[in-house]
Amino acid sequence: MNARHAAPLAAAAALLALPFGLTDFWIFIAVEVLAFALYAVSFNVLLGYCGMLSFGHAAFFGVGGYTAALVVKQSGLPPALAFACLPLAAMFVSAAAALIIGFFSVRRTGIYFAMLTFAFQMLLYAIALKATPLTGGDDGLTGLKPPGLLAQPLAYYFFALSITGASLYVLHRVVTSPFGYVLRALRTNALRVQYLGIDVRAHRLAAFMLSGAFAGLAGAIFALSNGNVFPGWLNWTASATPVVMAVLGGTASFLGPALGAAGYVVLEVLISGRTEYWSLAMGVIIVILVLVMPEGLTGVWRKGIIRGGACATPLPTREAR
Amino acid sequence: MLELIAQNFAWAQNPVVLARQTLAGVSNGMLLFLISAGLSLIFGVLRILNFAHGALFMLGALIAVSVAALLPDPLTGFAAALIGAAIGLALLGAAIETTLLRRIYRAPHEMQLLLTFALVFIIGDAAKLIWGREEHSLAMPAILSGRAEAFGLVFPMYRLFLIAAGAAVAAGLWLTLYRTRGGIFIRAATMDRDMLSALGVDTRKLFTAIFALGAALAGLGGALAAPVVAVGPGLHVQVIIDAFVVVVIGGLGSVLGALIASLLVGLVNAFGVLAFPGLAVVLTFACMAIVLIVRPRGLLGTVE
Repeated sequence: MNARHAAPLAAAAALLALPFGLTDFWIFIAVEVLAFALYAVSFNVLLGYCGMLSFGHAAFFGVGGYTAALVVKQSGLPPALAFACLPLAAMFVSAAAALIIGFFSVRRTGIYFAMLTFAFQMLLYAIALKATPLTGGDDGLTGLKPPGLLAQPLAYYFFALSITGASLYVLHRVVTSPFGYVLRALRTNALRVQYLGIDVRAHRLAAFMLSGAFAGLAGAIFALSNGNVFPGWLNWTASATPVVMAVLGGTASFLGPALGAAGYVVLEVLISGRTEYWSLAMGVIIVILVLVMPEGLTGVWRKGIIRGGACATPLPTREAR
Repeated sequence: MLELIAQNFAWAQNPVVLARQTLAGVSNGMLLFLISAGLSLIFGVLRILNFAHGALFMLGALIAVSVAALLPDPLTGFAAALIGAAIGLALLGAAIETTLLRRIYRAPHEMQLLLTFALVFIIGDAAKLIWGREEHSLAMPAILSGRAEAFGLVFPMYRLFLIAAGAAVAAGLWLTLYRTRGGIFIRAATMDRDMLSALGVDTRKLFTAIFALGAALAGLGGALAAPVVAVGPGLHVQVIIDAFVVVVIGGLGSVLGALIASLLVGLVNAFGVLAFPGLAVVLTFACMAIVLIVRPRGLLGTVE
């Protein structure tokens, strides 16, 4: 135990204590934050670490959500058992989708990779819209709820917290592993990585599947809390959500996107509660974000520390990038 | 199974149906071309995928409705609506380029995508504030509202007019790109904008002009489409996806590719509706995915 562990421990304690001071509505929002935090961090494993901009990541969030809904409603398993299978099922199906999409997409880089992933997301959207017997078509799948005690907001919050916490731990272990350092090297100079004899495509594909699996898990958590899954989750307007969250929080740090997710969700609740022109407000916020602080909240905070000269001694360089 | 296929393709034996669907496909394709030409042109030169292009199209339609309402005579009103939409959007495009886009040409892709995405949100809601949530319509002038008849085929005049208008714009673009000095600059910028700049061409002005031209094409397309679509909030959501599919299939940056792909998508939709009712959407996205996998730069796209 040292100072390095203090901040995460304090954050964990705060998250454990948080719901006791909140109304049911805000606990529901807190669950949304947890799901989207996992979504944004998993997305940023691609963008921030590998330098791959997936503009179709909503595909995996949506696939995870639909998988959860189908397991709960159609599998015929007893509710408790179905619920226990759910996280693994959502991750497995999303990873399978990521394997197929990634197989065709990861060869491309830059804007072409973004467009390919986007195209596949739209293909899944069209399928969700038209495969009515399975997906409920336009109406989506409704009336989902977790079994027994977990149906209570407080209990579900702790369920979501433990899943998100465990997932973030796993993702953090991965990005600080030798595999994770290969990913960072890919972002900086993929050609050089290739010269070192490392299979670039396989690493990109593996990262894509990892990211997709956890995005799917996030979708499953959110689906059960939300109670509904709609094809709109896969529509193109949903593509920007994880990007905005990651950029808002800062793509240069591991937990930045989680912070961005919290900011985005809370802003959405506060603004849409006051005006019906929530998109207009969000659009203006995004413009300001892109033009004024592209390094995100964590980036601004770090710059502030360095500029403000809060420490007499130079800051130790952080291991994250 | 065979019976089902026979049932689904019974229309293929009927020349009148074939001709009608071909005309419908081509006229829809021409509308798609008006949107996607600008989108492709902008990407070719500015290297920015403009998600707000559908929103510009919607604004064009809305401005057309408002302009036409000002004039008592339907024909002059309609003509003024087309011109007003194109000019209005050209001005808006120039304003967007000089105030926003210009700042992010060197920024990472995610910033560029986010900025044009933000414009979709802003324009979409601004349109609701200005024009309300209800759907508007633009009356077509009397000479275009009739039906044309030939060889036992009845076809709406306005659809034929759309085909002619699309062809005229395509010809105008071709002349601009291949027969004017500005066109040479545009084509040069598509290939190597740094070199063009080094040769003394003011690329800042060129970029503004390109975005204004692309926006004007979107506005004109919106105005032309206004009589045949429901003009209201949400129009842009579908339009941009269709345009996106077209430019991806045709090849980003290629106007000729956009023309070919527009006609292709228009026809696939027109016949897809007959062959696989309800699945036309899936069909177009499947087309796009296949093209991206087999030939990622599209039919006529330049090399990545």
